[in-house]
Order: sequence, then structure tokens, then C-alpha cells
Amino acid sequence: MNRIKAFFRHDNIGLLFALPAVVYMLVFVGYPIVHNIILGFQDVDVMNFLRGKKNFIGFENYAQLFHDEVFFKSVANTFVFTVSCLVFQFLIGFALAMFFNKKFSFAKPVRGILMMPWMIPMTVTALMFKFMFSTKVGVVNNILTGLGIVSENIEWLTDQGIAMIPVIITNIWIGIPFNMILISTGLTSIPGELYESASIDGAGPFQQFTRITLPLMRSTIESILVLGFIYTFKVYDLVYVMTSGGPVNATQLMSTYSYKLSFDNFLYSKGSAVANVLLVILLLVGIVYLRITSRGEAAYE
Amino acid sequence: MNDSKVTPGRNVFRCAVSVLIALVLLFPMLWMLNTSLKTEAEIFQNPPTLYPHTLNLKSYIAQIETGDFNMFRSFLNSLIISLGSMLIAVLLAVPASYAIARYRFKGHKSVLLGFLVTQMLPVSVLLTPMFIMFRNMHLYNTWGAPILADATIGIPFSVLILKNYFASIPRDLEEAAYIDGCRRFSAFLRILVPVAKPGVAVCAIFSFLYAWGDLAYGMTFILEQPMRPITAGIFNFMGQYGTKWSYLSAFAVVSMIPVAIIFIFMQKYIITGMTAGAVKG
Repeated sequence: MNRIKAFFRHDNIGLLFALPAVVYMLVFVGYPIVHNIILGFQDVDVMNFLRGKKNFIGFENYAQLFHDEVFFKSVANTFVFTVSCLVFQFLIGFALAMFFNKKFSFAKPVRGILMMPWMIPMTVTALMFKFMFSTKVGVVNNILTGLGIVSENIEWLTDQGIAMIPVIITNIWIGIPFNMILISTGLTSIPGELYESASIDGAGPFQQFTRITLPLMRSTIESILVLGFIYTFKVYDLVYVMTSGGPVNATQLMSTYSYKLSFDNFLYSKGSAVANVLLVILLLVGIVYLRITSRGEAAYE
Repeated sequence: MNDSKVTPGRNVFRCAVSVLIALVLLFPMLWMLNTSLKTEAEIFQNPPTLYPHTLNLKSYIAQIETGDFNMFRSFLNSLIISLGSMLIAVLLAVPASYAIARYRFKGHKSVLLGFLVTQMLPVSVLLTPMFIMFRNMHLYNTWGAPILADATIGIPFSVLILKNYFASIPRDLEEAAYIDGCRRFSAFLRILVPVAKPGVAVCAIFSFLYAWGDLAYGMTFILEQPMRPITAGIFNFMGQYGTKWSYLSAFAVVSMIPVAIIFIFMQKYIITGMTAGAVKG
């Protein structure tokens, strides 16, 4: 008893405070991850899901994925989706952050309102854009045909060749506020005197941007991009609601494919295997993120 | 940035540009609201009408009367789920973040790392095992399942935000409480938590919003429509009446109500939350 008391006397008392949250996360996140890894090595489907023997089949699920065209398509789609979203939401976010960091009366309130797209449920966002991109009643086609840019309605979400475009645009819309606000905070941390002395030295706006803004924003930019990659790479609801991965897997991502295998085809183990591949990629990127932030913190201290 | 003086003309110009940007970016939401107030016939008009020529509230009213896809019922379900998961997240995250900020206990680093990593997890990894677990716990088809699952998003976020708040509170405040005879736990409850209130508000708001926006958990763990959260309700409705845009848009507008309320009254917390949560990690 005394030993226990002694253990908790100093800093270790913190463990008692942290314990409830840690146990909760171990039960509802830690255990499921381990279980998912095990599922990936088993043969669980609708037959033996609840009862019955679950056999260990080693890397069989993963071997099957290697011969699965849809899986490769989903991997390629996930990367195309993530990289395109990342580039545009970052560039647009950067431009908006530069603008809203200027001095004018509406700067703060309007920048605040622009956070809305990030806050509303992704299901609703998916619904809105599905409506806007629908072939006959969609306002996008209405505008394009009205202005005479195209003569016929475009089948945005039903044409295999282009279905990815509206999905990417939608996700960019969600990502812009996130990028804008983080870049905006980064920009305010650059001391104004730097720009003043630079303009005295005769540096124009472009030079100021490339010589002062970009170098000083480097670590902010890095962490925004890596974090954005992680958030975008695992997007699920948006695509599931907009296209369910279709038409003919044209917008199938790893996350939606995993869900489809598990909960539409009831191939739980195969679905888990896809999710595990997704997890490994995210963890690798996560390590990069931790490196960047710890380097930033070390420099800061 | 480097222009300290703004001429009135330039100010007006920039304000106008900013309003224009807001209109373009928020157009999808305005369009949804607009559509929800139109008649089905008007929705199909081309060129589309910029505002409802005949105001139609039927899309909202019909939902109160008919049973199957009662959006106000889904709204209530979502509210219960989100508040429940918010409560769990805040109750567990407040003491945990205090511990991480103040004490170098054994395993400090791995605990912190664990919270960081869980933020990056894809929902796909957790769905099937959670599904099995909640079935075994007899929580399948109850609000309990999404409440417990959604809290796993709110907890790590809240811990990481709140630890910065607790770290910024001067230690003297705590020590003064000890001298006054407070025990550690009561000092924490009576002195530290009130000081960290704005941080707690940020966590509560974000935990609520994460749960409110969730589709995967609510849809997978609850199969009965009358129990489902509003996001799953919308998804179901889309599957059944895919092109009934008047009802769908009304559904969408209703689901944005709490977001709008939070936004109007607690805007400053949102920006704090978004920046603190991401950059510092």
C-alpha cells in the first residue's frame, strides 16, 4: 500500500488524471486497431462474422489485393484526389490569407464567415454539390450552357472520365478555410518591420514575397501540407455520399473501397486489409509530420 | 501586412472584394437555402430563379407530418448523440490534458504520442472492429454506439488543445490553492478548470461538431431509420428519393442550424480551435 502511495506522490499522480481518457482510447481505439490487423489475416465474411470458426489465412487477403484491379484503381484515385485537392486548396487558401491579412474594415468578420464550409457536415456538403453538379437541374450546367461555354449538359457525376473533377472541387471547397486560417496565423507572426526595411532597400512586392514571406513560412507551410495530406487521404463520407465510388469505380478511394468490401459485400477481412494498407500509408506520413513539428518546436524553444 | 495606413477608397474597395469572395465561396450554401424554399416546379426551371418566386414552406412542414423520414426526429437523434459524445470527450479530456501539461509521469511521452496518432486514423480501420464490439456490448442500433465512437474523435483533439491552456496557467495559482489547504483534485476543479474555461469551450464545440458531422459511425452502427442521426437520415433519403431536391435541401438546411447557431454566438472559439489544434498538434 505504501509503495503505491509513494509511486503516486510526485509526478506520477498525473497518471491518475490521465487514466480515464487513456483507458477509454485503449478500449475504443487501441483494441479495434489490433483487432483490425488480426481481421486482415483471417477469413471473416458474412458466414462466420458473428459465430463460427475464423481461420487464419496469413497474407492471403493481401495477396488477393495484389490481383485486384479495383484496389489498384482505388490507390491511384486516392493519390490523385489527395494531391489535386492539396495543391488547389493550398494555393487558394494562401491567396485568400494574403488578402484577408490586409487592413480593411471587413477583414475579420468576413474571414470568420468563410470558416462555415469547414464546419458543416460533409454529408450536407456532398449533397449540395451533388445537386449543383447534377446533369439536368444542376446550376453548374445551367451557368455553363447559359453563358454558351458548352452547348450540351455535361454529365459531371455519371461520366467515368470526369466524375473525379466535381468530387475534387467539393473537397477543395471544404479545405480552403482550413488552409486559409492556418496560413493567415502564420503570416501574422512575421514581424512587419521586415517588410518595411525590405521596401526601403527597394524590394518590390514579389521580391518581398519570395525573400521574406516564403522562407519564414516554411515550417508552417510544411505542416499544413502534411496535415492536409493526412486529412484528405482518409476522406470517406464525402465521396461515399456523392458517388459511392462510382460510376464503375471511377471515384473509388481506398476508404470507400474498404467500406464497400466490408459493409456492402460483407467481406470483412478483405475490407480490413484495405483499411490496414491505408493505415500504413497514413502512419508513414504521420511520422513525417511529427518530425516537422518536433523540429519546429525545438527551434522555437 | 506592411501597409499601416489605408485610404478610405482602398478600404471600401477591399471590403467590396471581400464580400464578393464570400458570396462566391458561400454560394453552395445560399443556393441550398434558396432551393429549399422553392416549389419542385420552380427548381426545375432553366434558367434557374435567383430567389423563390413563390415561397414554398411545404418541404419543411411535410417533414413534421410524415413518419418515415422525419427530419426533426433525426435532428433530435443527432442532438442526443452529439451532446452525449461531447460530454464524454470533455469529462475525460480535461483531467488528462491537465496531467499532460503539469506532470512528467511515467509514460508521459507515449500518452501524448498516442493522442497525436489517433487524430490521424482513418475511420475505415476502426469501423469493422467497432461494429463487432458494439454488437457484443448490445449497443448495436442504439445511440450508445455512435456516442462512444464519436467521442474517440473529440478526446484526442480536446486533450491536445487543452494541454496548451493548462500549460499557460501560472503555477503560483495552483500553489496558492495548496497553501489554502486545497487537495490536488479540488485545486484542479476549483482553480484550474475555471481559468481554462475558454479552452474547455473550444473542446466542447469541436467535440460537438465532430459528432454532428459524423456519417460513418451513425450509419454503420444504427440501422433503424427512426434512431439514426440526421446525416444518415439525409443519406438514406437520397437513396430513396434521389431527385426530390426540395425535401433534400430542406433536410440539409435543418442540419446546418446548430452549426449556424454555434457560429453566430461562438465564432472566436472556432478560429482558436482550428489554429491551435493543427499547428501545435
